[in-house]
Amino acid sequence: MADETDAACQAAAPGDWDRRSVLALGVGSLLATVLQGARPAAAQSAQRRATLVIGLDISDATGLDPVRVYQYSNPLPTHAAYDCVVTFASGDAVNLKPALATKWEYQPDGKTVRLTLRDGVKFASGKPVTAEDVRFTFARQLAIKDQPWQYISHVEDVKAVDPHTVDIVLKDPTLPLMTIIASPPFGITEKALVEAHGGTDAADAKEKDKATEWLNQNSAGSGPYRLVGWQRNQQIQMVKNPHYWQGPPGYERVLIRHMSESAAQLLAIQRGDVDVAFNLIPEQIATLKDDPNIHVVGMTSLDFVYMAVAAAPSNPALQNKYARQAIGYAIDYDGIINNLAGGKATRPVTFLPVGVNGSTAELTKEIGFKEDLAKSKELLAKAGLPNGFKFQLAYGNASIAGVGYQTLAQKIQADLARVGIQAELAPMDQVNMRTMYLGGKAEAVLTFWNPPAPENWLWSSATINRVAKRVHWDVPAEVRQLVADAAAERDLGKSAELYKKYQAAMVDAANHFVLIQPIYQVAIRKNVEGLELTANGWMAELGKAKPA
Amino acid sequence: MIRYVGSRLLTSVVMVLLSTLVIFLIANTVPGDPALVAMGDMAASDPAQVKAFRAEYGLDLPLWEQYGLFLQRLVHGDLGISISSRRPVLDDIVDYAPATLELATIAFILSIVVGLPLGVLAAVRRDSWIDHVARAVSLIGVSAPTFWLAFIMLAIFYGQLDWAPGPGRLDPVSFPPDRITGLLLIDTALQGDWATFHDAAAHLVLPSIVLAMATLGLVTRTTRAAMLEALSQDYVRVARAKGLRRRVIVNGHALPNALLPVVTLGGLAYANLLAGAVMTETVFSWPGLGRYTFRSAVTVDFPAIMAITAIVAAVFVLVNLAVDLSYAMLDPRVTKR
Repeated sequence: MADETDAACQAAAPGDWDRRSVLALGVGSLLATVLQGARPAAAQSAQRRATLVIGLDISDATGLDPVRVYQYSNPLPTHAAYDCVVTFASGDAVNLKPALATKWEYQPDGKTVRLTLRDGVKFASGKPVTAEDVRFTFARQLAIKDQPWQYISHVEDVKAVDPHTVDIVLKDPTLPLMTIIASPPFGITEKALVEAHGGTDAADAKEKDKATEWLNQNSAGSGPYRLVGWQRNQQIQMVKNPHYWQGPPGYERVLIRHMSESAAQLLAIQRGDVDVAFNLIPEQIATLKDDPNIHVVGMTSLDFVYMAVAAAPSNPALQNKYARQAIGYAIDYDGIINNLAGGKATRPVTFLPVGVNGSTAELTKEIGFKEDLAKSKELLAKAGLPNGFKFQLAYGNASIAGVGYQTLAQKIQADLARVGIQAELAPMDQVNMRTMYLGGKAEAVLTFWNPPAPENWLWSSATINRVAKRVHWDVPAEVRQLVADAAAERDLGKSAELYKKYQAAMVDAANHFVLIQPIYQVAIRKNVEGLELTANGWMAELGKAKPA
Repeated sequence: MIRYVGSRLLTSVVMVLLSTLVIFLIANTVPGDPALVAMGDMAASDPAQVKAFRAEYGLDLPLWEQYGLFLQRLVHGDLGISISSRRPVLDDIVDYAPATLELATIAFILSIVVGLPLGVLAAVRRDSWIDHVARAVSLIGVSAPTFWLAFIMLAIFYGQLDWAPGPGRLDPVSFPPDRITGLLLIDTALQGDWATFHDAAAHLVLPSIVLAMATLGLVTRTTRAAMLEALSQDYVRVARAKGLRRRVIVNGHALPNALLPVVTLGGLAYANLLAGAVMTETVFSWPGLGRYTFRSAVTVDFPAIMAITAIVAAVFVLVNLAVDLSYAMLDPRVTKR
């Protein structure tokens, strides 16, 4: 029946078919028109040359108001828009450099830091940067009490002594300050502009301050670029600050394009639609080796992937220090770095990344854990567990610098099996894992640490307080004293010595095994020069980049 | 008819509420704690701060009270504050929805404009080459993973051939138009900014084709099957016996009767496109609702999850209602049943 219908219908087909093919042709030519000239020599246009386009996953950013900046990607634009009183040069996470302040000195009372401000610095608005602006910035931060505030909660008061001098008074002068306020959340904001948009530094600012919405779309700083728009999950737009105190920046505009997929970033940098790609994984980096237009720059981060092993109440074996040390000596660290991370990583002794004061890769060889199966077996015997033991290793479904936790966990499982330790793998979603770990319910986890600022105390105090609780470490009084002394010591050399002792104590406690400190690989097109990458928390010095 | 619409509207409201309740219960059984996800490591370890945070978002209330609060707000058009973006969920949705709406609409039009004629033609010329093409298109559309398809398209037409622009809604250096509706094509057209209109249209080509593929496959298959059935009916034979021209038979007799299932499918497919563009949006860095939904789920952002559930449920229910009403018009017997 149907065939008959077909035959009958086909008889009359030609005219009809012609119409359809005309339609198809129409759709095709419409498509061609749409696409035609859709790539208007974009890469060559003058406007394009004067714009620095950065490909970056910015989906984590929840705000660009400095007092609320605490995620991973938003420090980059925040640092470009705001200057802090002091800063760190790229590649140096130890020695502070002057920025808006030319001098900072502890006063004889021991608890006041006096800042002397640089002359002639203007905000992007053209108004001068004054002591009152600095005071307002910190007062607003202290009153709003959003997350970055915790790092300076030991500040008692900030006073403008005269237009060029600011005093910061500390409640607890043994805690560090200057290294912390070098980070983007402490960028100096222009008081008049912030107040004009609802900002306040009054005691009730937590409820009353309304400037965040405006500061998410605009900036009020003195940095090389000025924020002019943020379309969430789409892009962050900045324009040149003509008043920048270090001379006009190299680009008219900076665009940070949200690209969550590394494969899309790869295509975009190959095609020249972006100039810098931050989130490429090692296999993609490898494909860029022979690209004449792109160079790949490595940046040793201050982030690291570590395994925390708790003295868990649920597992008697893990409560034995020697058993945990046995884990530390059974891991093939070089294999992890060379094979899993493609050699693009280093490894610190413990919870202080290589590059900060008192932590070097050489020290790891000296006092850190290393692969030594005989020693591991010896320790197991000493723990009374010559045949090994079992524990559960939890990890999330994520990857860092191209290394998936899953792969890493399997590698560790295989390594530990060589001495009879059985790691039972427990993959779970990231949120679940974090909830379990923070609640002190995990036996062992693979996770990640990234610092808000290159200040040793931020790591060391975490390990003896909140992180100690998670791993059920009953911190000895002398270790607590060591951490306090190291933080209070203002002489860098002396504090480095104290931090070495701290690291040795951490190795002995054997609750943390740092596995990978990534050397991030960033692809930059050769038409950009002077772009300095930094590990100090804001990824790059955009102010120094210019067209080649 | 009015009573029919009224009773259907009532059931629609119940359906939406039920679906929010189900999602609310499911979301609350997830062991992850949204406070710990949203807070930094230091804050998340301070019980006082965690407590304050939980209180701020009402996470410390008993479950039934949380749900009650959600309903109460919903009635007032307040969708709550997102835990991860820290601003009203409604603002987030207003920001992200247009990108998805624009993409899904173009994809929908594409799948109908191509799928419908292709299905009809495949049925009319069964087993001819056009039928085979239709079969291949629908097979690829239905079975190829969107993620894969998106990458392949991007790698070929952007990476290799340089015919299409890259990811995103606009060229990196072009300025987005002033926001009126958030739909770039409409906003640029209203402002007479034809260069940006062109740019936006070009950026829509690849993602909308990728997004349309799955729907296109379904539309083609369904149209073909429905047409074949209609063409084998007695009234078609009668029409032919009367010596009517083929075009009149196909377009006037068979097609209207074959359209019913296609309309159902089309409606649901559109709702699906709106809700299910996660993969396409991810690959094409498309700032739409799909990615927002995905992120909300990953960060256990309860207010956002609930709001999206309510909206998606409402869209599905409304589309269903619209489909059923169009049935009533296409086939008067429906209301009488």
